[in-house]
Amino acid sequence: MRIMLENLTKRFGTVVGVDDITLAVEDGEFVAFLGPSGCGKTTTLLMVAGIYKPTAGIIRFGERVVNQVPPKDRNIGMVFQSYALYPHMTVFGNMSYPLKLKKVSKEEQMLRVQEVADKMGIGDLLDRRPGQLSGGQQQRVALGRALVKQPDVLLFDEPLSNLDARLRLSMRGEIKHLQKELGITAIYVTHDQVEALTMADRIAVMNRGRLEAFDAPDDLYDRPKTLFIAGFVGNPPMNFLEVEVCQENGAFYAVNQGLRAQVPPERGEPAARRGGRVILGVRPEDVTLADAGEVRGSVFLVEPLGRDDLLDVHLDAANRLNVLADPAAHIRAGDTVTLSLNMQRAQFFDPQTEQSLLWR
Amino acid sequence: MAASAHTSQMRSLNVEELEYQRAATGELVGQAVFSALLVLLFFQLGVILFKVLEPLIRSAPGVLGSGLKVEETLTRAIASALTLLAPFAAYGACGARLRGLAAFDRRRALRVALLAGAVVYAITAMGQWVFQVGPFAEKPSLEMSFEQTADGVLITGIVAGGTADKAGLKVGDLIIAIGRAPTDLAGLKEKIALSAFESKIGLRIARDGEEELVPVEVVPVVEIGLAPLVGGLLLALFIAVAAVVWPGGLTPYVLMILIMVPLLIGYLWLVVASFSYRTEGLLPVNAAGEFGGFTLGNWEFLTRAGTSSNPSIWTITLNTLVIASLMMVLVLLVSSMAGYALSRMNFPGRRSFLSLTLILHGFPAVTLLIAIFFVLRNVGKVPIVGDYFGFNTRGGIALVMVAFELPLGVWLMKGFFDNIPWDMERSALIDGASRWRTFWQILLPQIRPGILALGIFAFISGWGAYLIPQTYSIGTKTATLAVFISQRTSETAPTNWNELAAIGLYQMLPVFIIFVFAQEYLLNIYAGGTKGSS
Ligand SMILES: Nc1ncnc2c1ncn2[C@@H]1O[C@H](COP(=O)(O)OP(=O)(O)OP(=O)(O)O)[C@@H](O)[C@H]1O
Ligand SMILES: [Mg+2]
Repeated sequence: MRIMLENLTKRFGTVVGVDDITLAVEDGEFVAFLGPSGCGKTTTLLMVAGIYKPTAGIIRFGERVVNQVPPKDRNIGMVFQSYALYPHMTVFGNMSYPLKLKKVSKEEQMLRVQEVADKMGIGDLLDRRPGQLSGGQQQRVALGRALVKQPDVLLFDEPLSNLDARLRLSMRGEIKHLQKELGITAIYVTHDQVEALTMADRIAVMNRGRLEAFDAPDDLYDRPKTLFIAGFVGNPPMNFLEVEVCQENGAFYAVNQGLRAQVPPERGEPAARRGGRVILGVRPEDVTLADAGEVRGSVFLVEPLGRDDLLDVHLDAANRLNVLADPAAHIRAGDTVTLSLNMQRAQFFDPQTEQSLLWR
Repeated sequence: MAASAHTSQMRSLNVEELEYQRAATGELVGQAVFSALLVLLFFQLGVILFKVLEPLIRSAPGVLGSGLKVEETLTRAIASALTLLAPFAAYGACGARLRGLAAFDRRRALRVALLAGAVVYAITAMGQWVFQVGPFAEKPSLEMSFEQTADGVLITGIVAGGTADKAGLKVGDLIIAIGRAPTDLAGLKEKIALSAFESKIGLRIARDGEEELVPVEVVPVVEIGLAPLVGGLLLALFIAVAAVVWPGGLTPYVLMILIMVPLLIGYLWLVVASFSYRTEGLLPVNAAGEFGGFTLGNWEFLTRAGTSSNPSIWTITLNTLVIASLMMVLVLLVSSMAGYALSRMNFPGRRSFLSLTLILHGFPAVTLLIAIFFVLRNVGKVPIVGDYFGFNTRGGIALVMVAFELPLGVWLMKGFFDNIPWDMERSALIDGASRWRTFWQILLPQIRPGILALGIFAFISGWGAYLIPQTYSIGTKTATLAVFISQRTSETAPTNWNELAAIGLYQMLPVFIIFVFAQEYLLNIYAGGTKGSS
C-alpha cells in the first residue's frame, strides 16, 4: 500500500503539531520518522492511523483519500510505546481481538493467532494476562496483535524504547525481518537515530513540525542537505568550524586562524564560489591524530566510549573538535595533539540559510 | 558482607548500652523524673489556658449567644479532666522514659522506674497538699463521728470546738432524720458530701427521749486518710512500671478500640434490644425489671400481613429494593458515560460543567425540596411517563435521588477514566472497534473496581435514603424502610423501641452483608478513585 501525505498540517488550537508535510511512502517500504522530542512524529502517525483528523492536507492510501475514513476501516496495525495491551484479556484475547471484530470464525482465529504467536515465540503464553508477562514478551504480543489482522500498513510509535539495550538490538532485527518477509508498508517513529539508520529504507527527519529531509540513510549521513540534518544525524555529532575557502594555484584551502587544510576541488569549488565565511562540517571519525596534522589543540576532556575514546579538543577560545581516538594512544586531558582532517568527506554550509553548499 | 553488617549493628547497640551502663542510677531517676515534671508542667499550662478561657467566654455572651452554656461547662470540664489526669500522665511519662534502658536491662529499668515513680508521686502529693487538691482537698464535714445503730445514727465522737460542738450536739445523741426525712448512716454521709460549705443541715436528734431539730453548719475540713495516700502511691508505681513494659505497638490499637467502643455499644444495644422485652442499659429485662425477658416478639413484623393503609414489611422492602436498584443502575449508566465524555472529549463548556457539578455536589439537598416537588408534580401530568416517574411513585423518588448522587458519580468515573492511557483506546479503535464498543469492551472492564464501588455506594445510599422518600411520598404507598421506621415513632402513641430496633437491624442486614463482601471495592472509592486500573 502506497501512502501519500500531501501538505499535511495539524494544529491543536494555536499549537502547531505538524506543519505542511508532503511525502510518499512506497508500497512495501520501511520509513522511519526521526526527530527530537515534540517535533510531531506521533501526531503524524496518528493522522495516518485515523485517530487525529488533519487540520489541512490530504492523506492517500493508494489512490484513495482516507481523510474521513475511520481507523477501523483503514486496515492498519499499530504498536505503541506503552504496548497498550488490554489488561483484562489474555494474550489470546488480545491477539484475536482484531479478528473477532472482523467477524473471523473461531477456528480461523485460533489458527491465525497460533501461527503468529509461534512466529513471535510467544506460542506458549496465550493463556497468560499481560500483567504476567515481561516487558519483552508484552512487546511481542503487541507486535503480534498488529500483525495478526494482516494489515496493509504497520505503524510503530517508539516500540522499543522501553526495552533493555540487548533486547532492543534483537527486536530491531526481528521487526525489520518480519516487515520485509511480509512486505507490509511500515512507518516507524523513533528518536533513536541508530534505530532509524539501521532499520529504515528511507528516513524522514522532522524538526518542529516540519519535514527537514526525506532520504535514504546513506544520503542523510554522507550528503546532509541542511545544517540541522548534519548535526542531528550521527553520533557523536558532526563538528562545525567557521572557515573561509580560498583558491591558491588551482588548489582549494579551508582556512581559519589555526587551520589550513586542502580541500578536494569538487567540494572546495562550490564553497569558494559562495565566498566569505562558510561552515565546515567534519565528523569525529574523519579527524585523526597525526604528527603531520594541520591543526593543533589541547585536549580538554577524554570520554572513554569503549571501542574509542571521545576527545574534546580545544583549538582556540571559539573552536573545538570532537575526535574519536584509539584508547591505545593513552591520551589524557591537558595533552597537546596535532590533528589531521579528512577533507575528502568535508561538508560546507551556508551560515545564513543553513543549506548545504554541496548538495541540494 | 552480612557478617560485617551484623557486627556494625551490634556495635551501635553496644554504644547505647554502654551509655546506660555508665549512667548512675540517680542520673537515670533524674531523667525520668524530669520528663514527668515536664508533662506535669504541660498539663498545668493546659489547665491555666482553659481556666483563662472560661471567664473570657463568659464575658462575651453577645458573641457566643446561646452557645454560652455549652462552652462554659466544656472549658471547665476540660480543665478539671486535665487536673485529674495530670499525675497519671506524669507517672506514665516517667516510665516511658526508661523504655530505652529496658531494651538492654529490663530489671534495672524496672528498679529505676519504681524509684522514679515514688519520687514523682512524692512531688505530686506535695503539690496536691500545697494546693489542697486531690486527696488533700477540703471536704464538707460536720466534725463529728457517728455509727449506725438499730434506733438511728449514734454520735460517737465530737471534735472539741468544732461545728457540731458549737451547735450543741453531744456524744450519745441519736440522729433520726434530716429535717423531716428519716435517714440512716449512708443517707447522712451522702447529704454531708453533697452539701455546700457554710450551708446548714437540720438534724433531728433524739436526746433523753425528746426530739429536737439542731441546725449544724457544714465546714470545710481536710481529712487525710492513710488509705488514699498508699493507694495513690501503689497506683503511681504500677503506672510507671506498666509504661516500661507496655508493648508500644499496642498503643494505636488501644486508642482505636477506645474510640470504637461507643459505636460498638450502640450496635450491641440494637441487637440486644431487638431480642428482648425491655432493656435496662445493655441488660435485657422482663416486665418485672429482672434480668431475662428474651423474646422474638419484636420480629413479628416480618410475618404481619399488610393492609391498604398499613403495608406489610415485604411491600416496604420491595419498595426500598426497587428504589435502590433503580438508583444503582441509573447512577452507573449516567455517570460512566458522562465521566467518559468529560475525561475524553473536548467540547465547549466542559470546564464550567465540571466546576458546576462540583458545586452541585456540595449543594444542600434540603433547599431544593420544594422546587423539586413542583417539578415532580408536573412530571406526573405527562401521560405514561408520569405514572412511573411522577410525584409519589418509586421511579420519581429514585430519579430525584439519582440526580443528587450524580455529581459525585460523574466525578468519580471521570477520575477512573483519566487513569486509563489514551493509547489503550487508540489501540482498540485501530483494531477495528467502534467508539461504543471500545467504551463497553475495553474501557469499562478496566474500571470495574470503580463501577462496582460506585454501584454499591449508590445502592446503599438508596437503601438507607430517608429525606427524599419521606418528602415525595404520601402515606405508605411508596414508603421505604427508613420512612417506615420513622412512621413507627409517633408523637401521640407510645413507641415500641424494641420493635424499632428489630426493624432497624433488619434494614441494616443487607448493607452489612454487602460491606463484608465488597469492602475492597468500597475502599477504592474512598481512596479517591486513584486506583482506577488494576
Ligand atoms: N492533544 C494535543 N493537544 C495539544 N497539543 C498537542 C497534542 N498532541 C500533541 N501536541 C503538541 O504537538 C507537538 C507534537 O507532538 P507529538 O506528540 O507529535 O511529538 P513527538 O514527536 O511524538 O514527541 P516524542 O518523541 O516526545 O513522542 C508537541 O508540541 C505537542 O505539545
Ligand atoms: Mg511521540
